[in-house]
Amino acid sequence: MGEAFRIAKEDMSSDNERIRGLRDRLMAGLTEMPEVYVNGDMHRRVPHNLNLSFNFVEGESLIMAIKEVAVSSGSACTSSSLEPSYVLRALGRSDELAHSSIRFTVGRFTTREEIDYTIDLLRSKVNRLREMSPLWEMHSEGIDLSTVQWTAH
Amino acid sequence: MSYSQKVVDHYENPRNVGSFDRNDASVGTGMVGAPACGDVMKLQIRVNENGVIQDARFKTYGCGSAIASSSLITEWVKGKTLDQAMQIRNTHIAEELALPPVKIHCSILAEDAIKAAIADYRSKSEEAVGAAQQHPANVAA
Repeated sequence: MGEAFRIAKEDMSSDNERIRGLRDRLMAGLTEMPEVYVNGDMHRRVPHNLNLSFNFVEGESLIMAIKEVAVSSGSACTSSSLEPSYVLRALGRSDELAHSSIRFTVGRFTTREEIDYTIDLLRSKVNRLREMSPLWEMHSEGIDLSTVQWTAH
Repeated sequence: MSYSQKVVDHYENPRNVGSFDRNDASVGTGMVGAPACGDVMKLQIRVNENGVIQDARFKTYGCGSAIASSSLITEWVKGKTLDQAMQIRNTHIAEELALPPVKIHCSILAEDAIKAAIADYRSKSEEAVGAAQQHPANVAA
């Protein structure tokens, strides 16, 4: 444990800067797509975490699509539950944006190539799932989804 | 979450993704679910003059099981009459896809979607027949 703390003391600030740079690169690449929302504050935030909502695409289907990358949906505490994350709801996100969220974390050994690979993969899979999404179709037709009467149980 | 091989197959190779023109007289459209629940399915059928479903399309916002359930049902309804398609039950879908208990609701939504599409087609046909009866001079040959 002491050894771990020693390494942390020596390397933490330079590691954090590098990791923050990679995280910011990932965010820049992914937020170029339309209807992508950042969950939480970007400044008061740990440097390795990114949580995004990809509107009109459901989170679990996106995780299935990007199986080459280890991510989670919702927030850390709710990834395996079906409910939308109460943390994201508390941040003011609607149920559907909470259902559409993916949590990425950058590790100590993550490379720039892996970040760029992830950006390309997400672009391709989000577009594919949006092509399959009736919500994206309605949005593209100019329909305001908040005015729709849904038939949920 | 581990998915059955069939769910993965329908997810990776979904059948019949797309849309018909909902204003076309031969098309029935069913939209069920809600974004707040994380599941919305739009299912459309094209019915020929003999009351047989010739073709079907779907679009789904939801998890892999929801996508697979709706993809599977578009395969199943082709070639069926409307009454035969009304006999499809969520239990058949759940069994075919080996859905775990926590995903059974996806198969229920798919059953609701086909029923809604059939109901929409039937109500459109009745309106068309009603309009023709009121204005017989306007009936196309």
